[in-house]
Amino acid sequence: MNRWRLRRRAAGAAIYLGAGLLVLQAAFPFAWMASTSLKPPGEVFAQPPSFVPAAPTLDNFHRLFTGTTFLVYFWNSVLVSGLAVLLTTAVGAAGAYSLTRYRYPGREKIAVLVLCTYMFAPIMVVIPFFILVKRVGLENTHLALVLAFTSFCLPFTLWLMRAFFQTIPIELEEAALVDGAGRVRAVLHVVLPLALPGIIATSIFTFILAWNDYVFTRILISSDRLKTLPVGVQDLFHAALIDWGLIMAAGTMITIPALVFFVAVQRYLIRGWGAGAVKG
Amino acid sequence: MGARRRARDEAIGLLAIAPAGLLILSLVLYPVAYSVWLSLLDKHSFFPQERFVGLDNYRYLWVDEEFWSSLWLGSVYSVWTIGLQVVLGVAAALVLNEAFRGRALVRGIVLFPYMIPTIVAVILWKWLLNDTYGVVNHVLLALGIVREPIVWMGADHIMLSLILVSVWQFFPFVLLAILARLQTIPEELYEAAKVDGATALRRFLHVTLPQIRGILLVVVLLRSIWMFTKFDTVWLMGEGAGAGRFIRTLPVYAYMRTFTYYQAGLGAALAVIMFAMLLASTIVYFRLFRDEADVG
Repeated sequence: MNRWRLRRRAAGAAIYLGAGLLVLQAAFPFAWMASTSLKPPGEVFAQPPSFVPAAPTLDNFHRLFTGTTFLVYFWNSVLVSGLAVLLTTAVGAAGAYSLTRYRYPGREKIAVLVLCTYMFAPIMVVIPFFILVKRVGLENTHLALVLAFTSFCLPFTLWLMRAFFQTIPIELEEAALVDGAGRVRAVLHVVLPLALPGIIATSIFTFILAWNDYVFTRILISSDRLKTLPVGVQDLFHAALIDWGLIMAAGTMITIPALVFFVAVQRYLIRGWGAGAVKG
Repeated sequence: MGARRRARDEAIGLLAIAPAGLLILSLVLYPVAYSVWLSLLDKHSFFPQERFVGLDNYRYLWVDEEFWSSLWLGSVYSVWTIGLQVVLGVAAALVLNEAFRGRALVRGIVLFPYMIPTIVAVILWKWLLNDTYGVVNHVLLALGIVREPIVWMGADHIMLSLILVSVWQFFPFVLLAILARLQTIPEELYEAAKVDGATALRRFLHVTLPQIRGILLVVVLLRSIWMFTKFDTVWLMGEGAGAGRFIRTLPVYAYMRTFTYYQAGLGAALAVIMFAMLLASTIVYFRLFRDEADVG
């Protein structure tokens, strides 16, 4: 009996050790980034490096906001990601509703389509996309970016939202329709509120994709004032001699909103994952 | 519902799917088709001149040393990152499947690196791995694991660094997918195995593994597709590092042909080759595992 208890203790300790290591590998790099961002230039390169800044300063952040166009990139990122979410959600919800409530050929092919778009990784599409966008005169516009993100997220959005719409009993809308409500009103007042968790989940995925995108923005946007964060920060990185304090401040400023956002939506994110992104 | 009203209702149905269909058709499927056509042209990336050259681009690549080396580097990168992600992801999922205090918080923290922009992951690790001032070298030296600082971004180690960063960034995906499946395994299966006196290892091999096999097959497929076509992490790691050519994988090579040498036709040919390889592997994969893969 005693041996058994000892063994259970050891197993418990092993789990805490494993969890500790997992937290350390994920959190330490960010903590180090934040620490560097608070160090004055001299201390950034001090040997041996210290984890807690000896003379913490917000100087790097001050220089980031006043000496670079970081805030412009930030605003561009918010704008483009927000518009991409709105467009993807509107178009995706309408499409997914249609897929679950109407019959026409090809509507079962959506899973295949999703898998295919996974294979058309951005790098494969971006070359023809670039030439196409140039031809219609949309190069160097935010609209081109919004369209790129939307088209990339749509197949997945359709797939995930369809799964949510399928769980909403058709009888509910039929009741509304019998009561004399038009189709559009039945959808707006009965179906959409019930599909809200799915809509939130897909919005989050679209937002993350748009917020994090590098390759489309690098290729489609050339003027500095239109750049989004990932491309803007990369250019900052290459500007001159690498100013690590400044770069780490930029990294921290991208990470904090991401962290807040992540904490706020984690619940939905994981639910969406279970519902269709990866079944099981 | 009257016939007119029904016809109107049908029209609404088609109207609702039309924008999505139109966008996917014109912005995903058309570019892919155009890519195939482009690969048969000799075309400048920015200027309008173009010339039909048939399969010349493919012939060029067939004897192009850089193509074969990028294919090799891409394979090395994919195989290592996928293998490590799966092993780490499953191990971490097993840990997080146990009940302990603060589990939700740990799960959130572990997941976070997957959510940040690649550029942050890259600059962060370039700083941690900096050969002179980086904390990684400092710790390794202090612990006496190495005698000389490792030049992480040098020719000898840049692939290792790239693999490290990629695994760090992407294994949470495997973790989350496997964890979701683990949580649906009935407790009774483990109880029965415990009564039979099975050790933890045997319980994993005979109870857990068969249960997660289906989802594991899907995860490996998705991750393979994504790692094989991974562009931003590889490109951003290599850019600015003198040793960038030692991690010039196929997607990076396609990008360079198009946007550094302005040979859009060659770039497109590389994209088509990548796509053909993915398609062929996916078909073979499904032939092998069709009945087991847990696809939605």
